[in-house]
Amino acid sequence: MEFVSRKVIQLDKLISELDRLVFKFVKVLEKHADYVIVSGYVSILFGRARATEGVDILIEELSEAEVNVFYEDLTNNGFWCLNSGDVKDIYSYLEDGLAVRFAVKGSSIPNFEVKFARKRLSVEALKDVLTVVTRIGKIRVSSIERQIAFKRYYLKSDKDLEDAEHIERVFKGHVDKEKINKYRELISRDEKT
Amino acid sequence: MKKLKPGKNNREERMNFVEYWADYVRTHPDEEWSRQQNLLIDSQITTARNTDYLIPKKRK
Repeated sequence: MEFVSRKVIQLDKLISELDRLVFKFVKVLEKHADYVIVSGYVSILFGRARATEGVDILIEELSEAEVNVFYEDLTNNGFWCLNSGDVKDIYSYLEDGLAVRFAVKGSSIPNFEVKFARKRLSVEALKDVLTVVTRIGKIRVSSIERQIAFKRYYLKSDKDLEDAEHIERVFKGHVDKEKINKYRELISRDEKT
Repeated sequence: MKKLKPGKNNREERMNFVEYWADYVRTHPDEEWSRQQNLLIDSQITTARNTDYLIPKKRK
């Protein structure tokens, strides 16, 4: 993998089944909302040797009518919602700041955990994006610094600490430590409010 | 590339491997590490597909 520019990474990995599913989901999603993939799948995309049950995605806030169209498009493309088949419920969960999960019809894992970006940190994540260019298309993921900071200072489980270590080592020489510290401060302020 | 150092406990062992593997990813072509990684990831998807019968067919 290599940085083509400060915000674009060229990744020449062989495509996994998980990657194919993620790209299939994103192909539908990007027609309806601005998005960024955060957390575990980002580490996996960059080589982490583990699997995952869920792919976390932050999206811009949508109206109920927009969620309705998005949901219809998802179902037409072979996905279902694990939380409800009623778009009113789905919108209501999203409105309440909760995540809703979608998966390929007939299965529950892996699934796509979609949440409105509402908190300041989440809204900023939508702007602090890396574009990853792969053999099957482009995808938007959170910056490596945000990824490291969230895993190390917010989520903090063993798995998250390992993910942070992996990302930091893989991108040795490209990581802006000052930016990680800024995120660390924001996380700490966010936790207190 | 550094050899993998055995850990004194499970947590240290895991972290040592994470560091070893990250160094491998950084220093090897994408095709090489992803071929190995995909064995792990694709096996999970296959397992998930094989347990489809666990999913209720109708949900409200």
